[in-house]
Amino acid sequence: MTTDEGIKYDRSLLGKSHNIGTIKVTKEMIIKFSRSTGETNEIHLGNEGTQQTVIAPPTMCNMFVTGASRPDIKLDFGDINLFAGQSIECKSDIKPGDVLEGKTQLESVYSKTGRSGKMVFSVWLTTFVNQDSKEVAIVTESYVRRNKR
Amino acid sequence: MIDSSNLFYEDVDLGDEIGPIQRIVTHENVLDFISIREKTPKPSRFTSKDVAVKEGLDAAIVPGVMNIAMMSQLITSWTPNVRLKKIDVVFRQTVPHNTILILKGIITEKVDDPSTAEIGCDITMETESGVKMIIGNAILALPRKF
Repeated sequence: MTTDEGIKYDRSLLGKSHNIGTIKVTKEMIIKFSRSTGETNEIHLGNEGTQQTVIAPPTMCNMFVTGASRPDIKLDFGDINLFAGQSIECKSDIKPGDVLEGKTQLESVYSKTGRSGKMVFSVWLTTFVNQDSKEVAIVTESYVRRNKR
Repeated sequence: MIDSSNLFYEDVDLGDEIGPIQRIVTHENVLDFISIREKTPKPSRFTSKDVAVKEGLDAAIVPGVMNIAMMSQLITSWTPNVRLKKIDVVFRQTVPHNTILILKGIITEKVDDPSTAEIGCDITMETESGVKMIIGNAILALPRKF
């Protein structure tokens, strides 16, 4: 059973959209992301010494979500915050030169009690559109806050 | 495991396996990854054991964003024809650096609709001893033959 009863946080943020800024995607950024995550497909890595174009791996926009500053929900619980889960809907390719605009909003806050005690989850929904106003990705992230063991 | 060169929707059946693929994320991989955003990465739970321990973890961990990128590679490296439409994961345990990670999937659903060629699969990231660190599912699309 999940509930948000008794959880102290800033409820005024629920469902309110926040701009997380714009990101200009570069070829170098795509190649670095691909290399560091062990990608082997040339379509993401490019062919060294050529002008071959690349496209971003489908989850790359995720990096911009993690780097985004979000409003503090002033959650009054726990002392360690961890990434609990994530869903990415890949709507369209991301290429060098694309300018992505991200908007995020707090979807829900709820608690669960498991073997390791009470945990509070906060869920954020972030949408990215490109310079042509085309939706490229929808990212739903869940963070868990709990007490140190 | 089926031959995964240029697979079509009709070639895939429920229960077919994807992978496994094996990965090890080194401390240097994590630093490279963090440096895409931060020119000089600051000590964090991802780059420093001391910071990780202070935060209640056992050791420096692999960022979730890197883990989900590897999970998506399990799908995108399966066959050249595939397109990842959605991936959904749950982080059950933190993933330490320099550990052998086994990623695999299994086909669980074929959407029975001629207007689409969508396939569902369950995916996992496990340790060598079979402890599941990340579980999830993905929706992918393959072209149809006809």
